[in-house]
Amino acid sequence: MHRRHRKKKKSANVELNLAAMLDMAFQMLAFFVLTFKTAPVEGQLSMHLPPPVAVTQEPQKVDPNNAGQGDGPQPSDENTLNLFVTANDRGDADVVKMGARPISKGALNKVLLARINEELKVVFNGAQLPFDRIQLSVDARLRYDELMKLVDLCTKQKLPDGKLLQRISFIEMPEGAAP
Amino acid sequence: MSAQSSESIEPNLTPMLDLVFQLITFFMLVTNFKGASMDQSLKLPVLGSARPLDWKGKLEPLMINLGSDGKVRSEGTGHEIEPFIKREARFVKLQLQAAGTEFKEGGELPVPVIVRADKNVKFATLNQVIRTCQDVGYRQFSLSAMTREP
Repeated sequence: MHRRHRKKKKSANVELNLAAMLDMAFQMLAFFVLTFKTAPVEGQLSMHLPPPVAVTQEPQKVDPNNAGQGDGPQPSDENTLNLFVTANDRGDADVVKMGARPISKGALNKVLLARINEELKVVFNGAQLPFDRIQLSVDARLRYDELMKLVDLCTKQKLPDGKLLQRISFIEMPEGAAP
Repeated sequence: MSAQSSESIEPNLTPMLDLVFQLITFFMLVTNFKGASMDQSLKLPVLGSARPLDWKGKLEPLMINLGSDGKVRSEGTGHEIEPFIKREARFVKLQLQAAGTEFKEGGELPVPVIVRADKNVKFATLNQVIRTCQDVGYRQFSLSAMTREP
């Protein structure tokens, strides 16, 4: 009798009710489908920007509106290449000057960016010129995308030791101020 | 005939459950919850050389979504630049204090600032953000851009 009972137990067909689990799984699936967003293709340009430090050895005063880097040589240092960017009322770049020399006029398009890139390459590939940083004096009206085009060009420049230029600083020029 | 009608017909749900679990696994792996802190309405400039930030610090970077109206956007509302940054810096200092790290005034906060600015933001506004961050101790900055056209 006992044996017969055991046999019965073994042959019992146990079936799980999957409907409840399926319901829950569909709810989770719905949640993830509804909250799904493709990861944005974003990147960053990283910079180390300590607050500006007053320059004592140079006659030029540091602008209190300066958001530039304070590490190492200061903006008016001989190792710093000065770029001046003025903007029009729409926020487009107007004139880009390297020192006192204009190297671009008009909104930054591919042709002008290529020209500025060539000018920068000539400067940074010259072994006699010890530039290792760029200071951008920027018109307060300049739009962010125009600024980033210039920053992009600057970060592509190679120093004589083969490293990419990383030291970039900014100075805000008053609206419409001529460098 | 009556025997046939009394038979219960149950579909085999196991393959469907397998499929659903595979879909759940896929969506769990590709869902980016960090994207919630990014304001997707901002139109970032496109910059081919921009690279994803490789940050391995304990504290989360400060994300500043800067709209073309000059306001910092957070959780769907616009905030003034200075109060927002100062409040965030206070939180970071409290977190550092709780972790037993001493922060000296004028020192450097060990947290980068990610500036996600709309492409129409004026330089004066961006400069104000950077200066305010510097005043409260931030030194590491990352300017965001799209690596290709969306």
